[in-house]
Amino acid sequence: MSTALTDPVADARPASSATTPTAPSSGGFTPPRGVYRRIARRETHSPRSMPAIVLAVALILVLAWIGTEIVIDLLGAPALLVAPVDMFTSAVNLVEAPAGIVAAAGIVVAVIGLALVVVAVSPGRRARHLIQSSRTVVVVDNEVIASALARHASLAGDVDPDNATVSVSHRRADVQLTPTSGIPVDPAVVKEDVARQLESYGLKPGVGARVRVAQTGRIGA
Amino acid sequence: MNSTNRATNRLLILVVGLLLLVVGAAAAAAVLIPVVRDTWKDATGQVTAQVSAWLQQTQLGDTGVSWIMPTLLVLAVIAVIVLIAFIARQGRGRTGIALRERTSDHGTTVVESDVVEHALRDAIDGRSEFVASHVSAYRVKSTPVLKISVTCRRGVSPKDAALIVEEAVRSLDVLLGRSLPALVQISGGFRARVSSTTRLQ
Repeated sequence: MSTALTDPVADARPASSATTPTAPSSGGFTPPRGVYRRIARRETHSPRSMPAIVLAVALILVLAWIGTEIVIDLLGAPALLVAPVDMFTSAVNLVEAPAGIVAAAGIVVAVIGLALVVVAVSPGRRARHLIQSSRTVVVVDNEVIASALARHASLAGDVDPDNATVSVSHRRADVQLTPTSGIPVDPAVVKEDVARQLESYGLKPGVGARVRVAQTGRIGA
Repeated sequence: MNSTNRATNRLLILVVGLLLLVVGAAAAAAVLIPVVRDTWKDATGQVTAQVSAWLQQTQLGDTGVSWIMPTLLVLAVIAVIVLIAFIARQGRGRTGIALRERTSDHGTTVVESDVVEHALRDAIDGRSEFVASHVSAYRVKSTPVLKISVTCRRGVSPKDAALIVEEAVRSLDVLLGRSLPALVQISGGFRARVSSTTRLQ
């Protein structure tokens, strides 16, 4: 299997063009409509599964508890925590309860609700970028981009790889170099190199570079 | 990549969030704002009377029990079942079949995704740029799509990584005689950090 894959032309049967419109090994592969767009969108955005599952579990627990209380009440046994009727009356007579506790609890609940609304409506971008490609959809973690840029920046700036720190966000790559004492670093050279690298990656959305060189060097690095 | 219904995820979060927001704000307003407090107090007696009237009117035969309570119970059970189904629905969409084609009038050719996975991993695993790789197949819009995730060594150019995997995918195209849609996922991660830096070529 491995030999066949490393040598693509060795025993390639001619594709029967009757069933497939896309001939293999031609550059322009066209997937079924919308599939690649859907994948690209889904891979760069959070599914919001975690908060949804947590909420669903919490709701299940609350509903199960209320259901149990109702059953117990119907059987005429004493309630586990609160009988359904008491739930209702205490909710209606909320204003008679100590104002401080009710206000604090209400505000906390409202803030949690607001946070959930924000989570539900915000796009939830993942720390990833797309790389332009004709055959596949390529998603790459920002971490990988940063690590590759750090290597190039440290080479261009002639500093130790451990003294180059890069963080990549949605539209910007921040390169921070700590020069070795006595060896000056030209930020322009580093910036040019990093920008050229970024351009060669063909990231989507595009990422701009910013280079900062620390004022004080480090000895023995 | 999986078939998680993201719209329902967001809808659930939105509905619960709005509910908590409204309930919390109402409770805080009821005790903090005098006007709201007074109207709430005025309404208390009325609401209590109304609800007890409903409970009286909805007697279940002559048992002395209102059918509102059992109805609420049934609703709670239905809601719990729906929520369990909702949780179980997450993260599905893997498929074991990479290709299915009617090759003649008498039969169908099926290529299992295992074949494709092994072929791709054989081609990718030897490369020094990667510490790990994983290949799986998913159904997206009823089309089988390959997912190839690779973990890069520190400092590997993402473009190089993409090109290596893409070359393997193109070789697979030739091997199968068909082009399968594919996703390449390039990540770094903890294992990449503890492994050695790649050498420049």
